[in-house]
Amino acid sequence: MTPPLDHDDIIELIRELIDPRPLIEHIRAPEDGAIVTFDGFVRNQSHNRPTLYLDYEAYESMALGKMSEIAAELHEKYRVHRVAIVHRLGRLEIGETSVFIAASAPHRAAAFDACRFAIDTLKRTVPIWKKEYFEDGAIWADGELPPAPVATPRAKPAS
Amino acid sequence: MKVLFFGRLKDVFGQSEESLDVNDASTIEQLFALYSERVPELAKYRSSVVASRNQEFAPWDTLLHSGDEVAFLPPVSGG
Repeated sequence: MTPPLDHDDIIELIRELIDPRPLIEHIRAPEDGAIVTFDGFVRNQSHNRPTLYLDYEAYESMALGKMSEIAAELHEKYRVHRVAIVHRLGRLEIGETSVFIAASAPHRAAAFDACRFAIDTLKRTVPIWKKEYFEDGAIWADGELPPAPVATPRAKPAS
Repeated sequence: MKVLFFGRLKDVFGQSEESLDVNDASTIEQLFALYSERVPELAKYRSSVVASRNQEFAPWDTLLHSGDEVAFLPPVSGG
């Protein structure tokens, strides 16, 4: 029988440069056969306007909660071993990593699928916002409205 | 009760948080309406805002309690 995998994940919001090496080392274990990583970094333009830099802010307590929920969902959906999800906050220059995600797994398919699911879900559900600074001003990026419950379910009347 | 504003809502409202007596609004919808009276520009963001109560996404009809932390969240753009 295959022993269960521990879920020793790393979930962080940080204000310093993201160093992927210790994250990858942490999730790499002898029972694994693959690690897939996603490195999201600051592009030098947005809608054909040259970007000077970005500034990220978060609702930190809720963002960490939502990032932990994503990690938990990865373990439910895919046979991944450990997950690292780290997002940077504050001012980021062109080319600097804003988000780093890594997943280890005994087999590669689970690690690929988990990484893709994690970044797609993070962009829809984690309360983090980016302000883009240009030569002639700054704007909040358009973003996506998180799926939120429309109304409180009402208790059914007793019959 | 603590009320938080993020992203462009923080810019429009002019501050990121404020404490409020729970008797001033009984639902999240009423709370947003209250702030829209104070800062009319907020009203035009109503359809592109989601709310949270105690760090969980919450429907607009959620009842508020003393000690709650409510936040108004514009479309998210992390990543």
